Amino acid sequence: MHIIVPMKQIPDLVEELEVDSEGTDIDREYLKFVSNEYDEQALEEALLIKESTGAEITVVGLDEEDIDQTLYTAIAKGADKAVKLTGTGDGWVDTHTRADILASWLSGQSFDLILTGVQAVDDLDGQLATLLGARLGIPHAAVVVEVQPKDDKVTVRQEFSAGMAIEQEISLPAIVGIQAARQAPRYAPITRIRQAMQSGGLEEVAANTESAGSGLSIRRLYLPEKAGHAEMIDGSPEDVADKILELIRSKGLLK
Amino acid sequence: MIMLTNLVAVMATRLLVAITHFAPGLVVKHGHVVVTRKIFLGIGPVGKAIFYVLAILVIAIFAYGWIRRVKKYRKGRPAQRKLLTSKAKSPVVVPNLDHLEIKDEQLDIPLGDTTVSTTKSAQVQNAGSNSSNSSVMTAVATRPTLGQGIENIASNKTIKSRNKGVGHAHFLVFWGMIMLFIATSIVSLDYDVYRNLTYLFTGVERSFYKGTFYLWYKVIFNTAGILTLVGVLSLMFRRKNSGEPQLDYTRAEKPKEGYSRKSFVAGDWLFMGLIAALIITGFFIEALRIDGTKFPPFETWSWVGWLLAKGLYFVGVGSSAALSAHKVLWWIHAAMAFFFVAYLPFSKAMHIFTAAANLVVTDPGSARRLPKPPESSDHVGYQNIKDFTWKELLDFDSCTKCGRCHYACPARTVGGPLSPRDLILDLRQWVDRVERIPMVLDWEERPEASGPVLGSFAKEIAGDVIKEKTLWSCTSCMACVEACPVGIEHVSIIVQLRRRLVDQGNMEPSLQKALQNISQQGNSFGKSARMRSRWTKGAGVEIKDARKEPVKYLWFVGDFASFDERYQALSQTLAKVLTEADVSFGLLNDGERNAGNDVRRIGEEGLFEMLVEQNLASFASASFEKIFTTDPHSLNTLRNEYPLFGLEKPVQHYTELLMELLESNAIPVKSVGKNVTYHDPCYLGRYNRVFDAPRNILKATGCNLIEMPRNKENSFCCGAGGGRVWMDDSYLDERPSENRIKEAVQLEVDYFVVACPKDFAMYSDAVKTTGNEDKIQVIDIIQIIDEAFDRSVLPEKV
Repeated sequence: MHIIVPMKQIPDLVEELEVDSEGTDIDREYLKFVSNEYDEQALEEALLIKESTGAEITVVGLDEEDIDQTLYTAIAKGADKAVKLTGTGDGWVDTHTRADILASWLSGQSFDLILTGVQAVDDLDGQLATLLGARLGIPHAAVVVEVQPKDDKVTVRQEFSAGMAIEQEISLPAIVGIQAARQAPRYAPITRIRQAMQSGGLEEVAANTESAGSGLSIRRLYLPEKAGHAEMIDGSPEDVADKILELIRSKGLLK
Repeated sequence: MIMLTNLVAVMATRLLVAITHFAPGLVVKHGHVVVTRKIFLGIGPVGKAIFYVLAILVIAIFAYGWIRRVKKYRKGRPAQRKLLTSKAKSPVVVPNLDHLEIKDEQLDIPLGDTTVSTTKSAQVQNAGSNSSNSSVMTAVATRPTLGQGIENIASNKTIKSRNKGVGHAHFLVFWGMIMLFIATSIVSLDYDVYRNLTYLFTGVERSFYKGTFYLWYKVIFNTAGILTLVGVLSLMFRRKNSGEPQLDYTRAEKPKEGYSRKSFVAGDWLFMGLIAALIITGFFIEALRIDGTKFPPFETWSWVGWLLAKGLYFVGVGSSAALSAHKVLWWIHAAMAFFFVAYLPFSKAMHIFTAAANLVVTDPGSARRLPKPPESSDHVGYQNIKDFTWKELLDFDSCTKCGRCHYACPARTVGGPLSPRDLILDLRQWVDRVERIPMVLDWEERPEASGPVLGSFAKEIAGDVIKEKTLWSCTSCMACVEACPVGIEHVSIIVQLRRRLVDQGNMEPSLQKALQNISQQGNSFGKSARMRSRWTKGAGVEIKDARKEPVKYLWFVGDFASFDERYQALSQTLAKVLTEADVSFGLLNDGERNAGNDVRRIGEEGLFEMLVEQNLASFASASFEKIFTTDPHSLNTLRNEYPLFGLEKPVQHYTELLMELLESNAIPVKSVGKNVTYHDPCYLGRYNRVFDAPRNILKATGCNLIEMPRNKENSFCCGAGGGRVWMDDSYLDERPSENRIKEAVQLEVDYFVVACPKDFAMYSDAVKTTGNEDKIQVIDIIQIIDEAFDRSVLPEKV
């Protein structure tokens, strides 16, 4: 079984995000980028499958800030191959464009299963896996917490609200958006990551960047604006009640 | 009644006879009588032949045992222990430990490709300091020279250090047995060598075992025998009656399938019993011989044997009965002696040699400056038997199960599954099982093979032989190394095993999160590196950036003092006090990373090296003369490990700097007048021997210091070290910090003074969880100084 795990970089949210001078993107110059945690979950699930039934794992990422670190970390954890798609620019790649770039490369690959993070901080509606499924014309499942290979299919478990869970079989090849792996992502010792880096082996492929994108353009990116402030009313309960009543009247809500 | 009178009469008569016999014995002129004894008295040629055949057999078994063990040690990796310490090279002065010389070989340990140059350039010009902070590095933290090693062995001082009585008793047995070995060797030298040689060359058998020599021999070795007996009987009495917890062999980690250590107990009694029985039978043989040979007067010099003989004679053992009893007892004694020699390399008794050797090659500083992971191996950390160094294999064989580490260990004390004693014994038994070296008793039995009993079925040491949770329970406080009388280095072994766990990713999520935070943000709090100096905003004083302007002191703040909300106010206080005292200091701000002391002790060597590189790069970008740090953990690695990577600046703890400032009157103080107790942080006290500076500060500020029972070298860990602060501690019966607070509360003092940001956090919590908020207050030493600071006498700033 060949599993491909697309991974992406997201801004490290412990840093303070600032809007750039053009006001349409975050200021990426001094920002630190880290691996999307949901992709790490997807990789862990892939590694668990590899451990239990054997599989070959390829991780793939766009040439984003510090993607090498993420891909080599994946190798240190047990991925067999890492591919970096170059030429995708410095700015933010919207999910539609990302899906196009990945789909273009994926269509030339032979694979049984694609596991990727169900969402990311810049893709909170979780479009990537869905779009990839559509572009590649393969079955898709999202919000998955367990993937078990079964002959030429996989059984996936999805968790819904109110403690409901559903298990379904998907025929391969398929793409699955992973919410969480069966166990917490493993630790990659720095020594192993450095060894992976030293031995290199990151395959660089020029990305096909012909994409129509999402068709959307960002007009303005801004921090949530303060919408007024709370006023504290002091005094005895009676006084407070009177003041509230007065306020409501003064706003014209009550006659 | 008549019989009783009769008996008394007979006894009285015999007593009289005995006295008359005895008295002339003291003054008899020996005349023509040959003053000696007959070797092999009454044994006959066949007996003699059997004796020699047995002796050869026993020596062969003894040699076989040691060959097996030495072969085992030779399989170990090199251990970087030169036996002889060369003094030819110029001595290296370790930064800040004024007057202290560290032996060259400590800095000689090659790290990667770089051999560390001496750090002479880094000598401190401590203007204001004198003896106050010159806590002398005692033997525990430095490698002993060969001479010191031999002195430690000969004086038994490592045994006396924790228990004087036991130490003295052991001293008697130790020297007594050496004397008795010499005694036997002399007889053998005379009878087997000298007699035969003289016959060969002169045709006449000669002997020096006679006359005055014989008399001196007898009085000296009779005395040695009695002293040995006193020693061994005291030890037996103690083992039987003292009820000391360290003598309890109950495991800290209890295998679910059960276990039995009855044979440990049997092994102890066999060992002690054999020594006692050998001496007692020896004296009885002598007594029977004296009785049997009709009390040759000169034998009064064999005073113990003589008195015993008189007693035997007195209770009715005549000379012929004595002679026949002599023959039987002689064989019993010989059989026991043979057994003892043959059994020695296969039992606890082997410590006679292994522990002595270990005391010469030990380096208790290996916890302070951890060894690198094995370089020539295809895996990281210790996985199999080949990974141990010969020193570690010798460590295992040196353990006498004295239990001092077991007793001192904070993990064991609070119900954790780690006992350093069990760890060493498990590893020894496992190694010996793999190597097929049999033991007489001293084996732990289990109904199903697990742990050390797995032998070669164990795939991983860390996990199969020693449970992961056991390894993760270590706080790296070094109390075990400190307590060990035979120089075992538990901490570095634990770290090597942890390195394997880290390499395999076997760790709990909270620890993994901390390591990821440190790797990504450079701090365990997972905060942005740029937030590191945010606390300075509330300090009320301007703090320099050492990368932008030169300063005298670089303040390496450390994670807890920078990010822990409880401690940030104290960092502000320290900044304020230093500014008022006109100290030139600055920070690295976002250039500072976690120093990596605990990261290294977790076993994450790669991350440690990365942090060292990052911090060294920041150091290089700054201009300063010395470093001081708030955190004893950072202090340890900066002072002891960073020099191996190229740091050449002296490193101080803030208590050392503050003491200098008090002494030079840069901080004038008035009395605070409180009753306080002081907790020695492991990494400040035990690791780096800074005991005096904080105590002198307390003295100078008029505090009445009342010591806790466990103080200085014997201080009890708060439980935060070695990465434990990032791990779950809910499985423990109580937290080590709670155990410590309970100890302190007994003293009825106002303040529990700490000198470590982690301690401040741990003990503040423990005071709350033990419900002692109204009894004791945790306070950092900087708060004492702040309170005592007499700012009215400060010179006016121009």
